Amino acid sequence: MLAGAGSRPLQLRHGFASGRAIAAAVAQRRWLNHFISKSPPTDTSDASPPAPSSPSSFRLAIKDNITTASLPTTCASPFLAGYTSPFEATVVSQLRRLGAAVVGKTNLDEFGMGSHSTNSAAGPVVSPLSTAETTPLSPGGSSGGSAAAVAAGEADVALGTDTGGSVRLPAAYTGVVGYKPSYGMLSRWGVVPYANSLDTVGLLARSAGRIRELIVEGGMFAQHDERDPTSLSSQARGRCTASRRGYNGEKIDVKGTTFGIPIEYNIEELDPRIKDAWAKTAARLQEMGARIVPVSLPSTRHALSAYYVIAPAEAASNLAKYDGVRYGARDAGATDGAGETLYSDTRGAGFGAEVRRRILLGSYTLSSEAMDNHFLQAQRVRRLVRRDFDRAFALHNPLLEREHFDLAEMDEAVPLEDKFGPAEVDFLLCPTAPTLPPTLDEVMAQTPVDGYMNDVFTVPASLAGLPAVSVPVKVEGADGPVDFAGLQVIGQFWDDARVLGVAEQIGELGGD
Amino acid sequence: MTRIPVSDLSRYLFQGHIRRAGCLRMRQNASFGLGASSLGLPRSLHTTTGLHEVNSSQHTSAAKSDPPVPLRKQLKDQAKALKAAGKKKKAKADNQTVPGWELTVGIEIHAQLNTSRKLFSSATTSFDEPPNTNVALFDLAMPGSQPIFQKETLVPAVRAALALSCDIQPRSRFDRKHYFHWDQPSGYQITQYYEPFAKDGHITLYPRDGIAPEDGESVTVGIKQVQMEQDTAKTIAQPGEIHWLDFNRVGVPLIEIITHPDIHHPATAAALVRKVQLLLNAVDSCVLGMESGGLRADVNVSVRRTDGGPKTLGTRTEIKNLSSFKAVEDAIIAERDRQIALLEDGGVVEGETRGWSLGSTETRRLRGKEGEVDYRYMPDPDLGPLVIGKDLVEHLRASMGVLPDAEVEDLMSTYGLSSKDAISLMLLDNGGRIQYFYNVLDAMERRLQEEPSVPPTSTEHAVLVANWCLHELGKLSVKDTDFQSQGKELYFTPAGECPIPAESLADILFYLHRRRITANLAKDLLWAVFRGEIGAAGTHKDVTEAIEKLDLWFKELSHQEYRDLARDVLEGEEKVLKDFQKFKTGQSRAYPQGKLMFLVGKMMRKGPEQRMDPKSAETVMRAVIEDRVGAGM
Repeated sequence: MLAGAGSRPLQLRHGFASGRAIAAAVAQRRWLNHFISKSPPTDTSDASPPAPSSPSSFRLAIKDNITTASLPTTCASPFLAGYTSPFEATVVSQLRRLGAAVVGKTNLDEFGMGSHSTNSAAGPVVSPLSTAETTPLSPGGSSGGSAAAVAAGEADVALGTDTGGSVRLPAAYTGVVGYKPSYGMLSRWGVVPYANSLDTVGLLARSAGRIRELIVEGGMFAQHDERDPTSLSSQARGRCTASRRGYNGEKIDVKGTTFGIPIEYNIEELDPRIKDAWAKTAARLQEMGARIVPVSLPSTRHALSAYYVIAPAEAASNLAKYDGVRYGARDAGATDGAGETLYSDTRGAGFGAEVRRRILLGSYTLSSEAMDNHFLQAQRVRRLVRRDFDRAFALHNPLLEREHFDLAEMDEAVPLEDKFGPAEVDFLLCPTAPTLPPTLDEVMAQTPVDGYMNDVFTVPASLAGLPAVSVPVKVEGADGPVDFAGLQVIGQFWDDARVLGVAEQIGELGGD
Repeated sequence: MTRIPVSDLSRYLFQGHIRRAGCLRMRQNASFGLGASSLGLPRSLHTTTGLHEVNSSQHTSAAKSDPPVPLRKQLKDQAKALKAAGKKKKAKADNQTVPGWELTVGIEIHAQLNTSRKLFSSATTSFDEPPNTNVALFDLAMPGSQPIFQKETLVPAVRAALALSCDIQPRSRFDRKHYFHWDQPSGYQITQYYEPFAKDGHITLYPRDGIAPEDGESVTVGIKQVQMEQDTAKTIAQPGEIHWLDFNRVGVPLIEIITHPDIHHPATAAALVRKVQLLLNAVDSCVLGMESGGLRADVNVSVRRTDGGPKTLGTRTEIKNLSSFKAVEDAIIAERDRQIALLEDGGVVEGETRGWSLGSTETRRLRGKEGEVDYRYMPDPDLGPLVIGKDLVEHLRASMGVLPDAEVEDLMSTYGLSSKDAISLMLLDNGGRIQYFYNVLDAMERRLQEEPSVPPTSTEHAVLVANWCLHELGKLSVKDTDFQSQGKELYFTPAGECPIPAESLADILFYLHRRRITANLAKDLLWAVFRGEIGAAGTHKDVTEAIEKLDLWFKELSHQEYRDLARDVLEGEEKVLKDFQKFKTGQSRAYPQGKLMFLVGKMMRKGPEQRMDPKSAETVMRAVIEDRVGAGM
C-alpha cells in the first residue's frame, strides 16, 4: 500500500526545504534550525521563574506541539502557522513550578510524524554533531529540535513527545538522554495529539540523573491531572508506587538486578558497532554484579506493523479538525456545490507530505472494509506485545490482573532458564536505533518505509505503555563525528524510578 | 410521586422563574366540563347570576399569549395549498395499508438529555442564552484539549434506557464517527457505535397510544440499542451565503434510540415516537419535546410484496430529521407510496438518504449511496470504557416512579377509571392534575375510614373523585371570569396543589358520596371554596362548618312524601302518560326517557329541592307511572 508513495523521494512543499537547500545553509555556517520560536532573551514575564541565581532554576526547551500561552504552538504545520494557544500544557506549568525558564519552542516533524525532523514547515533540523567537513546529519525525530537544543547546550532540559520513539530516537542520534515515561504518568493536557493511545510527554537532558530529579524528587510522577482522562488517578498512582522501588530516595544499585537481552532485537540491519557496544555494556553490567539473561519477545516482529496501523488511524482522526473552518487558510471561492468539496483542497494544501500519507493510511485502515482486517488485528497484536513484556518482567503490571503463563502455550523460541520457565528480568537492555545517525542526504533518499524501520526498537515499549530511557554509550571504530550510540533500558509499568536510576549508572560507565 | 415538568425545572434552574398556571391550559380543560349536570336544574345557593357568562375578552387574551405557532401556520398553509391544487387528501385512517404490499419501518430517535453539563466538558448546557457563551476548550476542539466524561449525564440516560426496558450494559465504550461539517469542530462526533450502554429493549403500544387499527390490541417494537452521543453546533442561516454558528449546543448530551424494523403501519410509527417522548418525559430524562426541537427522528422505510415475493426486506431508504409526529407519519406514507409506485413501474428502489419538509407530499433525495460517507468508526483513544455499576442501575430503577402504562393500568384496574379519563388526568397540567387526584383520593379515603359505615371496597368513590377532578374543576376557571380579574385562577402545582385544598374537596365529595348533601349543593360548595368563602380566610372555617351553620344537610323526603309529590305532578299530564302507555303496549319501542325526565324536573321544581335527590325522584316517578299505566291510567 505504500509502494506507490515510496517509489519517489520525500515530497517537500510549502516551506518544506529541499535537501540541497539545507546543504547550502549548513555550508554557510552551522545552522541547526532547531527552534521555531524563542523567548525574548531578557524574558522575565514567564510567570516569574525563580531568580536566575536559584540553584533549582534551569533552561527548558519545549517541543512545538506542546501548548504554551506566551509563545505560538505551530506543530510545524502550515495549518497552525501563527497559532497561539489560549492555555498552557499541564506539564509546562509543572516544570515551571520546578524552576524552568522557557527558552523557546523547538522544531519537529509536523504533528510529530517522522523520524528525522525533516517534515517541518519550518524546514529540517540539523544535528549539532554535523561538522563543516561532513554532510549534515539527522538529529532524529520527531523531537529533533528538542534533542538538538540539549545537545548544543542551549537548554538544560527539553520537553518532547514520544509516540513510537520520538524522544528516544533523537536522543540516541544526538548523544543525550531521552526518557519516555509510563503511559498515564505525565499529563497530556495541552499536548497536541498524534496518536492518543501511544502519545507520552518525554524529557531530554544530558544525564538521566537530571530527569530523575524532576520526575522522582520533583514529584511529577505523583501528580494526577483531572483534565487528562488518561492521566492515572491519584489512587492508582499510590497503588502503583507502593509496588515499586526508587520513589522514596532509595539508592538504585545495578548489583543484584537482572537484565534481559531480547534475542529478537539482534536483527540483520543492526549496525555491528552498535551491536558491539550493546554487548560491551552488558558485560560491564555483569561485572558490576548484574545478571544478564537472554529473553524472547516473539511478538516484536509484528509490533512495527501494528504501530503503523494504529498510529496513523488515530492521527487521521485527530487531524480531522484542521479543515480550514477554524484553522488554516481556505480558498474563499471554494463551495460545496454539486461535485465540489469544501474541505478537501484546504486539507490537501495545508498538510505536509508525510502527514498526508499517514492520514490516507489511517483513513484506509478505519474504512469499513479494512477496519476488521487491519485496525482490530493491530489491537490484538498490541495486546500480544504487552503480554510478551509482562511475561519477561519479574514485576507484574499493576494495571492488569496477574496473568498465569502456561509453558505449553509459550513460543518455542522462548529460552527456558530452568524447569519453571524462562528467566524473569528487572530490565530489558537493547539498542535504541539500528544505525548511527544517517546524513540528511541519506534521509532524503530513503523511502517512507525505510524511515519507518528506524522505529523498530522503540515501538514495542510504546505499544505496551512502558517506561524506557535511551542513554548514549561509546562505540568503537566510528569513522565520523559520532562515536556513541543510544542504548535503551525498558522497565515494567511504573518502574520509571529504577529505569532512570540504572540508566544513570549506564551513562556513567564511560568509554573505557 | 412528585412530577416536576422538565421545562419548568429548567426555567427555574436557569432563570429562577416559577410558572404559576397557564390560562391556555385551563381553556383546554373547559372542554371536559360540558354536560356534567344532566338535569340542567337551576342553581339555588350562593350562585350569583352573571358568573356563567363566558367572557369573550378572556379568549382574546389567551389567544394573544399563545406561543408563536409557526407549526400550526405551516399546517394551515399546507391545507390551503392542497385545496388550491384541487387534491383531496385521503384520510390517514384509510391510508395505513396498501393491498398487496407490506411496509417495514425502523426508527432512530435522537433526544436531548436533561443535564446541566455537556457530555465531555463541564460547560453548562443552555438553550436560551446568548450564542457562544457556554463553550469549553474541548467543545471547540482546541488543539491539546481532552474530553472528560461528565458522570451526571448518566442519570437521565440510564433512566431513559430503563423506561425503554433495555438491558444496561455494565461496560460500554465511546467511538468517534467521522465526517466533515462546520457544525462539528473536531471533525468527528463521539458516539457509542460498537458497544452502546443499553441494548435489547422494547416498547409496547396500545390502541390508546394511537396505533393503526390493523395492529390490533397491542404491538411490541424492539429497541436494538440506546447510545449516548454529542450534539452538534447550531447553524443560524444569514442572508446571502453566510452561516453563523452557535457552539452553545455543541457537545450537549443526546441519546439515540434505535428500534428494530418491527413497525408496519405509518400511524404506529408516529405513535411510537409520541410514546417515546411520553416515556422520556415521565422519567425526567428529556429536556424538550419534539415540537421544541428536543427530539428528532430518522425513519428507515422499505416495502415488499406480500404475495409470495422474496422473504427478505426490500431496499430501504432513510428519511432524516423529522421534527413532528405528523411528519413521521406523513413522510412514511409518502415514501411508501413512492417506493411502491416505483416498483410497480418496474423500477428499483435505491438505498439513499431522503429529506422531508413539513407540508410537502413527497420525500426528496438528499444523497445516494455513492455519496454516502464512510464514518470510519474508531474507539476514542482518550476515553476509557464506561463502567455502569449495578447499584446505580438499581437505585435509578427504584427511584424512577411509575411509568405511564403502568399508571394507566393502575388507574383503570384499582380505581375503575376509563382509559380516556385516566390518560386525560395524566396529561393535564404536566402531571399536576393526577397528583391532585391522588391527594383528594387520599383525603377522602381517610374520611371514609373514620366512618366506616360502608366497607370502602368499591371504586365508586374513586370514580367520583376523578369525575370532579376532571370535569367540575375544569368548569371553575371558564365560568368565573370575575375572579380571574381578581387574580384568582385555577392552577395545579407539580406537587398536586391547587386553590381548592384537597381536604375541602374531599369533604364535599365525602358528604356527596354518603348522600348527605345533594350534587347541586356540592357544586355550590366547590364554588364557595374557590371564592374563598369557605376556608381559613372565609366566613366559614371549613366545609363541614358551612353545611352545619347554614343547615344544608340533605334531609331527604320519605318514600311516601316522594310518592305524594309524584302523584301531584302527574295531575293533568295525561297526554304525557300516553307515551308511556304506548311503550307498555308495544306501540313504541323506546322507553320515553325524555318524558320521564321532564316529569322528574317538574317534580324537583315543585318539591323542596334541598331535600330531594334527583335519582330517588326518578326512581319513584318511574314506579308511580308504572302503577298508573298498569292501572289503565
